[in-house]
Amino acid sequence: MKKLIFFILFSSLITSLALARSTGCKEGNCDNGYGKWVYTDKTTYEGEWVATKKHGKGTETWPNGYIYKGEFKESQWNGIGILFFPDGSTYEGEWANGFMNGKGTFTWSDGKQKTGIWKNGSFQE
Amino acid sequence: MENKKQVFGKMEVSKNSFKTLSEPVKQFGGLVGIIILIFLTFFVLNNIFGEGDELVAKMKIEEERIAQERKLNKLISSLPSGVLVSFDGTDNFKLSDELYEAVCKATKLIPQRAIMGANFLNFRAHEIYTINGNKIDETFVKWDDEKNKCFAGFVVSGKNVGVDETITVSGEALSFLSTGIDTRVYFIKNF
Repeated sequence: MKKLIFFILFSSLITSLALARSTGCKEGNCDNGYGKWVYTDKTTYEGEWVATKKHGKGTETWPNGYIYKGEFKESQWNGIGILFFPDGSTYEGEWANGFMNGKGTFTWSDGKQKTGIWKNGSFQE
Repeated sequence: MENKKQVFGKMEVSKNSFKTLSEPVKQFGGLVGIIILIFLTFFVLNNIFGEGDELVAKMKIEEERIAQERKLNKLISSLPSGVLVSFDGTDNFKLSDELYEAVCKATKLIPQRAIMGANFLNFRAHEIYTINGNKIDETFVKWDDEKNKCFAGFVVSGKNVGVDETITVSGEALSFLSTGIDTRVYFIKNF
């Protein structure tokens, strides 16, 4: 029984260490400068950092295929950027507070496009 | 009066004839009687408490469901680990129509990033989701026989600026993650 408890604790420790090693700042400077951060769910951000926050230009890649390339402010998608959806659809334009806000073009994977003003992810007719 | 006498007489005769039977025959008769009594008791009890055909039908459905689940699990474990997609233009594993349906029917989980992705096009759902600590009331993955498509979604509810709201976000499930043990919806196309 003692052996089993020791084995479970030891395995947990090894797993935690392995996980800790595979996440966090993997390249460069993730405090102030340019660096690459890997999150526990394999989301990655590679770009500019200011005061430990994503700030400036960068690329955030989600494990499920969403890729945002553009400007960040206070760790949020803010400014001009392009979001690639997993199926190939894209939105290119202005962002604010992590959402499509402002002028932008949404292009579906079949080529169909919608250009105009967007507010919090919704197209304004 | 005369009839009664005749009946009692007949009974007396059969009683006497029973007494004249040999002991093994009597014992056999008793055994048969007990068996019939047991069958009758069960028949009566089953009619009162049992669900009969309904129960059998339910059991058959459950057996079929288990068999189907086993079949799907076998198929899932044979898929390559990684991202499975139902559309062209990526390096990921492309699902055939048949596999797409099977994966859809076997999938139950929707991870956080898929939910966050769907919320890009539904700001109110995003607000409720974040206000309530990323809590999801319900998730669903369904195969639509008419459209031949897989649909997935989730329900978020909670107070948003003091008002109770419930929002269902759903869309076509177009990509899945295969872990080797199970599959998860990776992309909900709700636009």
